[in-house]
Amino acid sequence: MTDNRVRTALHWLLGGWMLLVIVAAFFWAPSAVGFKGESSRIVFFHVPQAWVAVLAFCVNLVASLRYLRTRDPLDDARAAAAARLGLVFSLLATVTGSIFANVMWNSFWNWDPREVSIAILLLVYAAYFALREAVPDEERRASLSAAYAILAFVTMPFLVFVVPRIYWSLHPDTIIGATGKLKLQMESRMLQTLFGSLVGFTGLFVWLYTLDVRLARVRLARREREEA
Amino acid sequence: MRASTLLSESLAVLGKELTAELRSRVALNAIGLFGLTTLIAVAYQIGPYQIQEQDRPYLLSALLWIILFFAATSGLSRVFVKEEDAHTAKTLRLAARPLAVFAGKYLFNLILLSALFSLIVPLYCALMSYRVRGVAGLAVVLAAGAVALASTSTIVAAIIARASGSTTLFAILSVPLVLPLLVMLIQGTRAAAASAELAAVLPALQGIVSLGGAVLTVSVYLFPVVWHD
Amino acid sequence: MEAISVEFTKVGKRFGARAVLAAVSGTLRPGEVLVVAGPNGAGKSTLLNILAGVLRPSRGGVAYRRGDEEVPRREWFENLGMASPDMAVYEELSAIENLRFFGRLRGHALADGALAELLETLGLPVREHHRAVGTYSSGMKQRVKLAQAALHAPAVLLLDEPSSNLDAAGHEAVAALVARFRARAAVAVATNDPREIAWGDARLDLAL
Repeated sequence: MTDNRVRTALHWLLGGWMLLVIVAAFFWAPSAVGFKGESSRIVFFHVPQAWVAVLAFCVNLVASLRYLRTRDPLDDARAAAAARLGLVFSLLATVTGSIFANVMWNSFWNWDPREVSIAILLLVYAAYFALREAVPDEERRASLSAAYAILAFVTMPFLVFVVPRIYWSLHPDTIIGATGKLKLQMESRMLQTLFGSLVGFTGLFVWLYTLDVRLARVRLARREREEA
Repeated sequence: MRASTLLSESLAVLGKELTAELRSRVALNAIGLFGLTTLIAVAYQIGPYQIQEQDRPYLLSALLWIILFFAATSGLSRVFVKEEDAHTAKTLRLAARPLAVFAGKYLFNLILLSALFSLIVPLYCALMSYRVRGVAGLAVVLAAGAVALASTSTIVAAIIARASGSTTLFAILSVPLVLPLLVMLIQGTRAAAASAELAAVLPALQGIVSLGGAVLTVSVYLFPVVWHD
Repeated sequence: MEAISVEFTKVGKRFGARAVLAAVSGTLRPGEVLVVAGPNGAGKSTLLNILAGVLRPSRGGVAYRRGDEEVPRREWFENLGMASPDMAVYEELSAIENLRFFGRLRGHALADGALAELLETLGLPVREHHRAVGTYSSGMKQRVKLAQAALHAPAVLLLDEPSSNLDAAGHEAVAALVARFRARAAVAVATNDPREIAWGDARLDLAL
């Protein structure tokens, strides 16, 4: 099967790429000026994790919208798979951010707007799964959780864009700030490592996501066979 | 073709809610008592004099919304949960258009919230000596807050009624949706207390109205799915 | 009111890992009573709920047809009357208020006199009409529920255990109701009562 061979090749590529990112993050990229010790290196993992958490949220939205149109159980499985990864990565981003905050500012939690945003994202994912747990009927579970995902997506922008602007933020301005210009003055090796890591983590997301969806597809197909 | 109009159906649902509520008073009692209890606990233990002058604008606006929000949480989910508990949901589902059900229930929750606000807010201001300079500003913030809170809680109530129907699940699902709204409401209240200018509440008001409007619009599309599946 | 037939093909429903209904097919024809029989747990109520459109089948489909033309799903409910054990009317309202409310929703507002007459044919005496339903016995509630189903003279009538909680007189009243609807509507009755099974022009037996 060529399909499988391509897949295997992609796995090795992803593994190699991630290894490269890790090595680059610790040895190749210099540590940033103005940060305590080597603490700035966490950015190479923290930022991509937060990015994947947001990406998963968007994939979840698209799958949820599709489910309500197609009523295909596989679309529900897609939404759930994205949300599962979103939960893991938003947890990782929260924890890594917290560790960094403790090193830099001697406090795990500072009520920084972006900290609050990721924590809320975490809450949304947790609520999403609490809802799924509470509904035994599969068709109803799928449409209720899709509805909730869409509702949560509509309120998120208010959190990310409306609330934070009113506060002062500890975070450096986003890579591409509100003005659309490159705000963060990073050393080029740091920038390359960060972008490499973003690509790697996105690949990791795609791999885990397709794995989960393929598993769901197999389960659905088996049930179809059993019922037929 | 249906002979009834959407408006008359919505009003029929609202009328039914009001009649049933006036006879049982379950939601009114839950919300009113919860609100009064927390208000009295806060007023008795903190009162106007336990807060430093420089902290007053921050603490007083936040405390007010904590009282209002938790009182509302205790009663607003009932609109749909009671239909499922009493097995009237299916009867209603078969007889009414989903949009009419949503509109009727939304208006009912809006009335409940307005009743709660008009009971608790004046009492709170009196008991905590909360001097609000912009009374008009506060009224506008409260009105917008009622509209927005009613929309999030009505659609979340519809979702949880079709799940387990527990108040815990209502809280879990509401918190991430309502948190930005609560932050903006507290900011708006603080702004109204500090300034007599109506313009002072405008930044918060924009956020509250657009969030409430967005949730309401999306709910209109999502509700039929939630209600029927 | 035009006659509607309800066709269901290979309808199946699964709750979690448990299959409740497996590939059931049949048709509800106007002027006919379809009796759905079978032991408890065989899926009688599930089938009726799927026919009504309040439950989504895991597989298979249901179609409402008016002549050759298919009735869109959003118009099913207005052509449908249903009474089942998992339905109830509002306990805070009186029988008349309940019927007035459901009549208003369906755009089929009847005068109070007509509503009282409907309740009386189902065996609920006039003196009870203005008491809150919460104070009724379960048999009286069942009569209000049946009145709610018949109120708007629907083209499709689905009755799930219509005589539950009813005495002999109540059973007679249900028989008269079914006879009245048989003439012009498609009726389905889910039951295990031998007297009710006898009403059927067609019969569908569900097995566990």
